[in-house]
Amino acid sequence: MLSVRVLNAQNLLIKNGTLLTVTMGTVIKGDILILDGVIKKIGKNIEAPEKVKVIDATGKYVMPGIIDSHTHIGLSGTNEMGATITSEVKMEDVLNAEDTSIHTAVSGGVTMVHTMHGSGNPIGGENVVLKTKWGKASEEMVVKEAYRTLKFALGENPKQANSFNPRGAPRYPQSRMGVNAIIRREFLKAKNYMAQWDRYNKANRSNKGAKNLIPPRKDLRLEPLVDMLKGKMYARCHSYRADETLEFIKLSKELGFKILCFEHAVEAYKIAKEIARENIGISVFLDNWAYKVEAAEGIAYNAGFCTKQGVLVSLNSDSPERIRRLFNDAAKSMKYGGLTEEEALKLITINPAIQLGVDKIAGSLEEGKHGDIAIFKEHPLSAYTLCEMTIIEGEIYFDRNQYLKEREEKAREKKDKEKNKEKKGETQ
Amino acid sequence: MKTSHYLITIIGIICFFAPCSTFGEDSPTYAIVGCTIVPVKGMPIEKGTIIIRNGLIEALGPEENIPIPADAEIIESNGLYAYPGLIDAQTSTMLDSPKAENQSSSRPSPASKTEKKPSWQHADFMAFDHLKLKKSIIESFRKEGITTVCIAPDKNIFAGQSVILNLSGERAKPMVIKNPFALHINFVTARGEYPSSLMGTMALLRQSFLDTEHYCLHRGKYNQAPSGLKRPVYDPFLETLSPYVSQKSPVVFNCANLEDIKRALRLKAEFKLNAYVSGASEAWRVSGSLKKAGAPLLVSLRLKPPLTSLFVNQGEDLKKKAEEEIYPANAAKLHEEGIEFALVSSGLSKPSDMMKNMQKAITAGLPRETALKSMTVNPAIALGIDAITGSLEPGKIANIVLAKGVLFEEETKIQRVFVDGISYEIKQAPKDAQPPAINIAGKWEGLVKSPMGEITVAIVFQQEGNQITGTITSEIGKWEVTGGALSGKNLSFTIAANIMGNDMEMEFYGTAEQDSIEGSISTSFGNAELQATRAPGRN
Amino acid sequence: MKRSIFALVTALLLWGPGAAQLNKNHELVAIKGATIIPVVGEDIPEGVILIQNGRILDIGAGVDIPQNARVIDAQGLFAYPGMIDSYCSLGLSEIGSVRATQDSRETGKLNPQVSSVEALRPDSMHIPISRSNGIALALVAPSGGLISGKSGLIRLVGWTPQEMIVKSPLFMHIQLPGGRGRTQQDTTKAAPPQASKKIKEIKDLFHRARYYQKRNTAAMKDARLTLPAFDEKLEFILPVVHRELPVMIAVDTASGILDAIKFIKEEQIQAVFYGAGEGWKVAEEINKAGIPVVLGSLYAMPSKWEDGYDAIYRNPAVLNQAGVKIAFSSSDAALAKDLPYHAAKAAAFGLDRREALKAVTIYPAEIFGVSDMYGSLEKGKAANIVLADGDILELRTTITLSFIDGKETDLSSIYTELLEKFRKRIE
Repeated sequence: MLSVRVLNAQNLLIKNGTLLTVTMGTVIKGDILILDGVIKKIGKNIEAPEKVKVIDATGKYVMPGIIDSHTHIGLSGTNEMGATITSEVKMEDVLNAEDTSIHTAVSGGVTMVHTMHGSGNPIGGENVVLKTKWGKASEEMVVKEAYRTLKFALGENPKQANSFNPRGAPRYPQSRMGVNAIIRREFLKAKNYMAQWDRYNKANRSNKGAKNLIPPRKDLRLEPLVDMLKGKMYARCHSYRADETLEFIKLSKELGFKILCFEHAVEAYKIAKEIARENIGISVFLDNWAYKVEAAEGIAYNAGFCTKQGVLVSLNSDSPERIRRLFNDAAKSMKYGGLTEEEALKLITINPAIQLGVDKIAGSLEEGKHGDIAIFKEHPLSAYTLCEMTIIEGEIYFDRNQYLKEREEKAREKKDKEKNKEKKGETQ
Repeated sequence: MKTSHYLITIIGIICFFAPCSTFGEDSPTYAIVGCTIVPVKGMPIEKGTIIIRNGLIEALGPEENIPIPADAEIIESNGLYAYPGLIDAQTSTMLDSPKAENQSSSRPSPASKTEKKPSWQHADFMAFDHLKLKKSIIESFRKEGITTVCIAPDKNIFAGQSVILNLSGERAKPMVIKNPFALHINFVTARGEYPSSLMGTMALLRQSFLDTEHYCLHRGKYNQAPSGLKRPVYDPFLETLSPYVSQKSPVVFNCANLEDIKRALRLKAEFKLNAYVSGASEAWRVSGSLKKAGAPLLVSLRLKPPLTSLFVNQGEDLKKKAEEEIYPANAAKLHEEGIEFALVSSGLSKPSDMMKNMQKAITAGLPRETALKSMTVNPAIALGIDAITGSLEPGKIANIVLAKGVLFEEETKIQRVFVDGISYEIKQAPKDAQPPAINIAGKWEGLVKSPMGEITVAIVFQQEGNQITGTITSEIGKWEVTGGALSGKNLSFTIAANIMGNDMEMEFYGTAEQDSIEGSISTSFGNAELQATRAPGRN
Repeated sequence: MKRSIFALVTALLLWGPGAAQLNKNHELVAIKGATIIPVVGEDIPEGVILIQNGRILDIGAGVDIPQNARVIDAQGLFAYPGMIDSYCSLGLSEIGSVRATQDSRETGKLNPQVSSVEALRPDSMHIPISRSNGIALALVAPSGGLISGKSGLIRLVGWTPQEMIVKSPLFMHIQLPGGRGRTQQDTTKAAPPQASKKIKEIKDLFHRARYYQKRNTAAMKDARLTLPAFDEKLEFILPVVHRELPVMIAVDTASGILDAIKFIKEEQIQAVFYGAGEGWKVAEEINKAGIPVVLGSLYAMPSKWEDGYDAIYRNPAVLNQAGVKIAFSSSDAALAKDLPYHAAKAAAFGLDRREALKAVTIYPAEIFGVSDMYGSLEKGKAANIVLADGDILELRTTITLSFIDGKETDLSSIYTELLEKFRKRIE
């Protein structure tokens, strides 16, 4: 984008495209009418209401906006490394709407991201779900309908296996044993904290007018864990090895909290049975692997195999560069895993939507959902395709043709300027 | 007795009897006549008279209406404009660095049981206790017409508490208008310890405010009816924060970019703080939220776009435009939105830079009247001192600027400034000043010869263009070199001496060569000769 | 008699140990019924390829299949030449964060003496994965410093490094500064003079090497003269100075490219560019200078916002349309299998699809001087043939068969082994 451009139309009519709805089949030569940001109608030969902008999608492929359920874009900072347990921090406090990675995402058809705390701590902070509304204010990007999630991390990263700590004594935990134990410890602390509040509240209610009661100190580090124990917030846990994944499931049952999804889960194929049975999702790379020891048995068949075993699988990028090629990764699941076109597209649309709790408003082309749409030149699962237009709630946030036009104009202007300079130089 | 000791004794005796000039408690009565008065509150008065007595404005009005008192010294001000002294509501100059403090507290004795204070806990850093009042800096403020400043600490998350000073004299206590003014908070991190990220800082701020509320609740209940209640654990940090959280004393959030402003407004709402927003170089981008929240705004004239800004990350052309047009127009755009603000120098190291940037802001569209308001009435209200300053009204402090020309126009020169009714003539560089022939910056060694004896001195000069500042050190003391000018090879400066507790000004006139300086120092008891050469070794 | 034995032995030695083994393959294989895309020449719908002794014996629509041939029915499949990865670290890298498994980068600025194939690990788990995606040959390159060392071309099959090496040394690698960054930061401060500074250093090195050799030669002839002490760096840079060994120069900035072109012309050496991220800005100059370009990974972001979000994607098309010979690379080990997808990405952003295919087959073969044996399906060339169930550059295409030097290769890998192991758990 040569400038921050947003067309303020929340009404759009997309005409005559191949509609890949993901949940309700394909509509050839289909139309989508978006009014007030919501898909009002999907069908054929829809008449354009007055003053509604029409997008001609003849020959193009129209799919739901892509959802990346594991990124760190749009933030000022990723990890709070000053402490080992940092459940008190919130990504929503450090939003950065000016991060150019948001533009990168939107140029690759991504309309929604789950942007998260890093994996430096066993318990990180509260994540946030954003719509990639490039050019808008940060608070306008937050998706309030999403589940509240807290970041957990297991394995090499939180135990600092691959970083060297120049500041003297290594911090606890330095082993997987300690990572598990410290998570247990924090939840037990949270239970104790909850008990203290319960006793205070009881005493307060019964001894009406008792002036000597001081409430316990509100502890922002334990409050999110209390919310998890009360079922108001869920765990999204970064894990690699099959064994640490199973241990965390065990821990969640022991302590009483719910895991929504495992991040990366490169060995999920080894325990697909267990994960499917627990109704926990996984959010994985298609084929990024072998960068760490715990990723040395991550195979490209992971996503496809787990899908076939009934696990809810989504693909993520965890990268401000890879985010614009998620549709390429989805296509690879057809080769590595034998998924159908629709199953492959689900990995980057409805599946992450379900995992994030936003499937009522996003993840497929259905009447009533938000008008979050990506238009591709070729089929999105073809290696030769590119994203031409990205629309969020009926507003166009990326338009490649417009972009090319502006670039040409700028180049022409520059040439004219140089020509004039030359002329001036000649006459002088 | 050594020659120098002899000298000191003589000087001391003389000083005791010599009239100590400019810095007395007793200020004369003045009548400023013939000027155009711009009171800021109310219409300008052409050909007006202002009467100053006891450091206050006794009367002002059209000259026909104001009789001149018999004891008044008349200041002819035909063709001059009189303005209220300008107020810079946030500067961090003239402050000792908090680093010195940290060093001592980071080495507790092995026996000591005190916990190490985290580096972000600087809420008790009182600007007043760490003032480094340098005469040259005070003069540089007055030179721009600034008579009142709020000196605010600016390092660490909880930076400390600011003090409001009237720039009269050199001793801190008489200058204080209000201490403390506010608690200052920065959205920065504590490097190497928690919180080491911005998200951690936000959590820390919230937890600190929550803890303060809890502490006040407990302490309040305990003070009322301690019987049967557990004693609250004394916490000096929470004690320091208490007035700001429970009694709603002002909290100034220094905001580097638009997200910082949003963060500040969120904390304001969550904890119902009396929150101010300062810095705010891109305040115009969140004008809607600012209007709604009604937080007083202290807009910095630093004018540089923050590194996070979109305008800086989308190519060189846009970056240039941002630095030269877009960000200088911040104040103008706020004004268009109907938002009032004070203009401050925070982030700039010199008040002269502030005025240069003021020009840029005006060129970018800020009306001159708004600029004036933003340095008089608005900062006075923000600082809570509008009852006594910020405009020219009878009863208010006699902080007055006499300028040859309309204030903030490029050619306008400020001739005289009154602070607390004390008159300061502003020495401009003489019109026939030549550019300096040499650079005398560096260390010098010299000998001062007077009829009473000799003493050796060590001098350090700093030079910026024509202007010379520095220090002169001898057995008797270390004094500031102020108001220095080097025109060609002609050198002149003032030594702000303090002998036996009495302030004395001594003037030097002489010539400077590349490696030698000579000239005479005139004091109230006679002349002394100074000869100095460059100190050997690296300068 | 002695002479003919001598001739036979010489022939066998020149042929190389790898080829000697393959010569044992006298079996005649016929691939029949596939749509053949030879890359050089017209496509052949439903053709026949005859393989013997490691070579393509014959290829065409109406080729007769001898009786004793083993026939492979390839009806519905597509036959392509095995692809060539023009720059990677296959065999030099296993697990990124474990230094013990990393051997592509030496310490120090000047390392002309090191050779990548001398650290090649034939058992690398990444090689079978790349091979099973239709890649047959790869240039394994050293990196780091100013002069990184020498690269070699390997085939992705073999029990020992000797069996894998096709040609070594292939290039001397030079790294010029101003490389492509990962984030979009302002690189206008990456001073253009830096590249020219480094070039000057190399020129000085060449100059010293020439003089070193002069002194050596003179001293050899005249015993009275002092023989210069052995200097490893100068010794090993001599083949480049003598124009016997071409260079591959890693450079990304437009100004760096122009400086490098000047240097190449002055020294009159044969050179290839690697990376050339801003090559599209100076495509004409690169074409005029006749320098081929091996592109870096397209999985990267442009360093300057003003260049446009698609700068790296459209770079290959612009170069190709200006007449520059291009080749794609994976620039990786763990993701080496993605070679064809870099080519397809460039095709999505303007590169002709056939040119994209050529840039992973015949063009690298020509650039590396092995096009007499590799890079296309032609009679007499090595039988590097891949059978695919679709367009070889497409993401969903599966490779069903791969011949390298006429022998069928194993398409299993750690991916398939682990999959099978844990599939058994389900059953």
